[in-house]
Amino acid sequence: MRVVADREVCVGAGSCELLAPDAFKVDDDGAVRVLQEQPDDAAAVRDAVSQCPTGAITLLERD
Amino acid sequence: MTIAAVPPADAGGVDLATVDLSDRDWWTTPPEYRHAAFDRLRSERPFAFFAEPDIPGFPPGPGYHAVTRYADLEAISCRPAVFCSGKGAVSMQDVPADLNEFYGSLISMDDPRHAKIRRIVSKTFTPRMLERTLDSVRAVVDDVLARARAKAEAGDGSIDVVADIAAPIPLRVICDMMGVPEADRASVLANSNVILSGGDPELIENDDPLTAFLTAGMEMAALMERLAAERLAEPRDDLTTALVSTEVDGERLSHQEIASFFILLLVAGNETTRNAISQGLLALSQHPDQWARWAADPALDRTGVEEVVRWVSPVTWMRRTATQDGEINGHAFTAGEKFLLFYAAANRDPEVFADPQRFDVGRDPNPHVGFGSKGPHFCLGAHLARRELQVTFRAVFDQLPDLEVTGPPHRLASSFVNGLKRLPARLGGDR
Ligand code: HEM
Repeated sequence: MRVVADREVCVGAGSCELLAPDAFKVDDDGAVRVLQEQPDDAAAVRDAVSQCPTGAITLLERD
Repeated sequence: MTIAAVPPADAGGVDLATVDLSDRDWWTTPPEYRHAAFDRLRSERPFAFFAEPDIPGFPPGPGYHAVTRYADLEAISCRPAVFCSGKGAVSMQDVPADLNEFYGSLISMDDPRHAKIRRIVSKTFTPRMLERTLDSVRAVVDDVLARARAKAEAGDGSIDVVADIAAPIPLRVICDMMGVPEADRASVLANSNVILSGGDPELIENDDPLTAFLTAGMEMAALMERLAAERLAEPRDDLTTALVSTEVDGERLSHQEIASFFILLLVAGNETTRNAISQGLLALSQHPDQWARWAADPALDRTGVEEVVRWVSPVTWMRRTATQDGEINGHAFTAGEKFLLFYAAANRDPEVFADPQRFDVGRDPNPHVGFGSKGPHFCLGAHLARRELQVTFRAVFDQLPDLEVTGPPHRLASSFVNGLKRLPARLGGDR
């Protein structure tokens, strides 16, 4: 399982940071930074992935 | 309570032939009636076509489709390449490109430029950063409520929920974040009222709408010019400094880009949150059981605020324009067709919300689209607005438990902003 982000598509809406604060952070340049590529809380990350307004984050289930 | 809850109007009683979403006055009808009309549109004519309103000075446009189903709205919102914002997102008419950019800024731009510009400020509005502003939001709210109390005590107890509670809170919060001096805030409020007046004659007494609108924009731009020069000379830790100093693609933003971004932040940050507060308090006073339930249980602050935003839907619609021919959920469209995404209608879609006409401060899940649906334009200020609203409602429960709405709401004649101009109320009675 691995979290990946597309920083070009990200607008820094911050939903991921709200839902899975251990895994994501909106960085100084305004786009997402993945804090945990192998997330501790996979359920929270799945929630964040489904809520992301731009589809900028993905959870690869087998990687 | 003096204002009784109005029972949901019977959708069968709405004559769809009389419903014209382009008619400004239709938007001052009671919300129960409008929602009954949306129910009919949603189930019978989910892509209903309307002619555009006549605006002096603008050529008549081709008309638009009113999107009222949640699923259709989401399908359009999450395909920004097919349904763009760059032709105008906040007006039914196509407006000249320069006006569109000036008043729309981000909201009327498409990616990739949109995303680059938005990322200049996105950091400031994230949950982590806003944690730091929580104390100052609390201080603003406490001060505003204390002033409302003092005003009531100095007079006969009457206050206006809009002017004395709902307007000053978001105004002070966003002006603090932007670094707008105290002395300029009254004019910021007046100008943002005009920009989002939807042409409501009461707000633009002395001018024709277009002149008033342009003057308001110019005054805001002049304020920004002044602040921009000050921040360039002496940077501070505020949003205005970020706007003037950040580079995009190796270049600073132009004066005009900065001015329009500044206007967008002030206007978007003010009018929306204000109407969520005023109409949230109206809804609570119409549903005293929900007031009592929420007031007694701070654990409901999160769901209560989401329900207020769903119920009020302060932004009624945003527009998208098709960039190509295609089909969406079985509906064929051609390039150039306009779609108005009616958040207010989608937020009461029975396919998504159980018992959608019930105001339920514990509603969970509540996947409302009050802040926009999926897509790159999802509200920049959503985390900030949620925070302001949570602090405000909790503080009203604690500090103004005797607040009593005494008169009918005065509704803004605008299709775009679901707004109140006044909401008469009283403090100090025996509620
Ligand atoms: C209850 C309060 C609020 C509501 C209901 C609301 C609603 C909305 C909606 C519906 C959109 C358009 C979404 C879309 O087109 O997909 C939007 C965009 C926006 N909002 Fe809010 N908003 C609120 C508060 C705020 C606040 C406090 C700010 C503070 C600055 C703000 C700033 C913006 C900006 C800048 C955009 C444009 C974003 C973009 O185009 O990328 N809003 N808002």
